[in-house]
Amino acid sequence: MNPLIQSIGELDRVIHEPGRLMIVALLSAVERTDFLYLQHETGMNKGTLSSHLSRLEEAGYVEIEKTYRGKVPRTLLGLTQAGRSAFEQYRRTLKGAL
Amino acid sequence: MDRVASLLNRPRVYYNIDGVGELGMGFMLLGYALLGLLQAHTSKDAIWHTTYGFLVYLGVMCLVIHYGSKAIKQHITYPRTGFVAYRKRDTLWIPMSAGFGISVVMSAGLVLAARSKWNMTSLVALIGLAMAAMYAYRIATAVQWKWFVVLAMVAGSVLIAFSPAALLAAVGDGGREATATFASFAAALRLWEVLFGAMFMISGGISFWLYLRHTSAPARDIK
Repeated sequence: MNPLIQSIGELDRVIHEPGRLMIVALLSAVERTDFLYLQHETGMNKGTLSSHLSRLEEAGYVEIEKTYRGKVPRTLLGLTQAGRSAFEQYRRTLKGAL
Repeated sequence: MDRVASLLNRPRVYYNIDGVGELGMGFMLLGYALLGLLQAHTSKDAIWHTTYGFLVYLGVMCLVIHYGSKAIKQHITYPRTGFVAYRKRDTLWIPMSAGFGISVVMSAGLVLAARSKWNMTSLVALIGLAMAAMYAYRIATAVQWKWFVVLAMVAGSVLIAFSPAALLAAVGDGGREATATFASFAAALRLWEVLFGAMFMISGGISFWLYLRHTSAPARDIK
């Protein structure tokens, strides 16, 4: 098998899922953002977005901070260093394979 | 990969989703134009000619832009479509380095142009065209209706290049500048600040209106 094609099989499956790829790509371009922004940009409903974020948090790629702005609860999200490295690796692998 | 690349660009475009970026830019340009006009048309001992007067004016302008933008973001944008904190690399180091580089190039260019006795109004028009090109690349490619703003910038730049002497004299200083070369540059620059400042304010205002129309205010808790 062509090693470049084979590398597609080694893509990080946590990031490779389309919904999670959108989330990680958006988070990689910023320091932090909130749940509402991700919902607005990705068009996902709350349940789906929460599910993807939980998976990314389990993998150690995203850190989630629940805080308040005045009396309004706010969920802040950011990529961890591991998440940034994993995304960069994912991009390199995909670029190389395609 | 193109889809991923466009996703990476989305947060940067988001900063101006409410028109705040353009409103700030427009306010700053009009502010500089107003200061220039005050300096040109007041007596030499007026406050606008003093260093502290200039610094206070600049400080007030920066405070209005900073806190005005922050107020719009915190009370309107973030509750409607979410909060984004940008990386210091993107909000501080890169713009500072780029600004420094552009300033050095422009300063050297101005000195060379003045010594070579170039037409300074054409030089200002070129600056306008360069800004139109950057605006087209960064903004109009992401928001289609902004191409009209690009057209207005190109038209404004052409107007500056062919502006009649009477118009330049109206925004100029009546011959008080040290040299005729600097006088024509200062007048053309002032005209550029007024035209482009107005364009940014209008474009930013339209963006803000469209943003309010297409998003909903967050539901308030009923107590």
